[in-house]
Amino acid sequence: MITLTHFLVVSACIFCIGLYAVLAKRNSIMILVGIELMINAAILNFVAFGKYDKLQYGGQVFALFAIVLAAAAVAVGLAIILNVYRHYKTINPQKINELKD
Amino acid sequence: MHISPIYASMLVVLSPFLAFLIQAILGKKSISGNISLAAIILSTVISLCIVFFEVWNQSPINERWAWFTIGKNTFYIGILLNNLTVLMQLLVCVIALPVHIYSRAYMKDDAGIHRYWMYLSLFCFAMLGLTVSINLFQLYIFWELVGFASYLLIGYWFTKESAAQANKKAFLINRIGDIGFLIGIALVYAHFGTLDLVELFGKEGNTILVDKNVAWLNIAGIAFFLGAMAKSAQFPLHVWLPDAMEGPTSVSSLIHAATMVAAGVFLLCTVFPLFNTFVLLIITIIGCITALSAAIFALAQYDIKKILAFSTISQLGFMMVAVGIGAWDAAMFHLTTHAFFKCLLFLSAGAVIHEMAHFKAHEKLDIDPQDLRNMGGLRKYMPKTFGLMMIASLALAGFPLTSGYLSKDSIVVSAYEWASALGTWHLLIPLTLITVSILTAFYIGRLIFKAFFGRFAFEQNNSSPALHEASSTMLWPMGFLAACSLFVAFGWTPIDYHNTWLMHGFHVKSTATAIPMAHSIIPLILTLGAVVAWGIGWRWYVKAAYPLNPNNSLIVFANRQGYLNEINNLLFVQGTVKLSQLCYGFDRTIIDGITYVVSGITKGLSSFANWFDKYIVDGIVNLIGRLAYLIGHLVRKVQNGRIQNYLGFALTVVVLGIIYLIIK
Repeated sequence: MITLTHFLVVSACIFCIGLYAVLAKRNSIMILVGIELMINAAILNFVAFGKYDKLQYGGQVFALFAIVLAAAAVAVGLAIILNVYRHYKTINPQKINELKD
Repeated sequence: MHISPIYASMLVVLSPFLAFLIQAILGKKSISGNISLAAIILSTVISLCIVFFEVWNQSPINERWAWFTIGKNTFYIGILLNNLTVLMQLLVCVIALPVHIYSRAYMKDDAGIHRYWMYLSLFCFAMLGLTVSINLFQLYIFWELVGFASYLLIGYWFTKESAAQANKKAFLINRIGDIGFLIGIALVYAHFGTLDLVELFGKEGNTILVDKNVAWLNIAGIAFFLGAMAKSAQFPLHVWLPDAMEGPTSVSSLIHAATMVAAGVFLLCTVFPLFNTFVLLIITIIGCITALSAAIFALAQYDIKKILAFSTISQLGFMMVAVGIGAWDAAMFHLTTHAFFKCLLFLSAGAVIHEMAHFKAHEKLDIDPQDLRNMGGLRKYMPKTFGLMMIASLALAGFPLTSGYLSKDSIVVSAYEWASALGTWHLLIPLTLITVSILTAFYIGRLIFKAFFGRFAFEQNNSSPALHEASSTMLWPMGFLAACSLFVAFGWTPIDYHNTWLMHGFHVKSTATAIPMAHSIIPLILTLGAVVAWGIGWRWYVKAAYPLNPNNSLIVFANRQGYLNEINNLLFVQGTVKLSQLCYGFDRTIIDGITYVVSGITKGLSSFANWFDKYIVDGIVNLIGRLAYLIGHLVRKVQNGRIQNYLGFALTVVVLGIIYLIIK
């Protein structure tokens, strides 16, 4: 039987993969993908914990909102990446270090 | 029309000054000397007619104007006319006038003649101002001006090394006296609070209102006497006067024989009430030493002007003795008569030198025109000059019928009376004076015999030497002076000095009892002594029976002026040089040494401070800096602008936070 723990473990794995992608990838799009993974891990948790609210499906509903917001965020992120690319002719985050000043 | 003698006297003083100014402005264009001559004629006429006749034997008058104020004391500038001052002023005018006329011929064709007239006018202004000053301070200013004019005129031929040296010497020695005079003025001002002669000594100039036996009066008296010593060439400050003969002879006659050098005696007569017995004794002794030493030095001089210079010093010594024994009327009398005959002697000597210089130029000889040894037999070529000089010489030697006889006797007789009242060793003073009188007769006789008698030194070269009589422009003033050298100028009795108008003018009460015998014995001794001296001179110099070796050590001693110049050179010049060398050495080694040590210490200290600053202070600062840099460097790595690093850090912190929560 698939228990809550299994969901949480899977969710944690996805989160870790996403985290790794965010920290280690040399491509901004892959970082965006990592972020998506981390959001999805969170959404999975929403859904998993949704079984404790069988009356109103709060978790399920919140997951839907989160998916929509994530989609919107990805769109914004892609737009930023596109502009960054135009500006720097690269999307390698190692080479974009102007945040330091 | 009646003009106040005060304003007339001012005019007398100022007209030469005006002449001086005009000639100073005209510069090289004024070579005729007419301006100076006109000024001095004006001065003489006014001085005689308006000032002298109005004031002489009348009550003294004075006038003063406020000059400047220090604190509550106002100084006045003014004019004091009494018997003493009007006599002195008239004397200066009457001597200066013939000298001016004489100079027109004597100084003709000199390259610097415009300066000559200018200086001469300046001198007349200063000397005339000196005589009538009411204030000791005003008198001092004129005193300095007189010295300055004398300096300019001694160095008139300043391109000559000896003249430049001589005027420097005269100036320096006069400074010594001026310091004395100034100290005297300061002392008088400190004790009386005034320098006004009328306030100090009363209208007649013969009273004083203090006890005379106080120490400061000794010092003040000696200080004034020091001033008079330098100006009137008293031993040992007389050394400048023989050297001052480097100036033109006409100047020597006016300044260094008749008027300026008498200013010292005049000063002593003016401040006479100030002197107490002690100071008067010093004046007497110094005067006596001066009279004797100068007479001895005059015996062996070969330069005709040097003989006259020493004669002047000797006669000034006489006047000093007269002041010292309290007979300052006799001093003024001798001053007056001496002015005439000594001026005449110099002018005659000038005429002789003038002719000798012409002869030298004509024959192209290399001789000193002033040297007696180059003269001789001039009587044949210059009979009028000879006659005039003879009168002056007789007056100097003190032969009867001359003015010199009267005045010299007045001094010697007064000295004898003074000495016999005091007794014992004081009798040395009149004895010395008698000796000096005889020596005077001898040296002036020697001058006359060597210059005018015998054979001319260069006769064998030339059958008739190109020597002729002096021009009439020179002879007339000399004639006038010769007339004034006779007794008639001073009174109608040829042998009694008491009856001269001049002695009547000063009411000096003699403290000594009169000795009637002295009045006949002493003149007799003096006259006989002079006759004997001339007799010996005649034998020695005219008959050529000279018994002495001219290289005799005593004669050389007198010729070299008693080695006084050498002693002064050794003592003062070399002494000063040695002292300066000592000071130089002290400065170099001690002062500089201290400076070097101090600077070395400072240098060491500062280099230590530098080291401390560089390594300790800077080291601490650098250490702190480095530390901050290192820490900064460490932290700097964190903020590298890479978003992933930031996220990594954020994660680390979160993880650390979680770990902390777990293990708590």
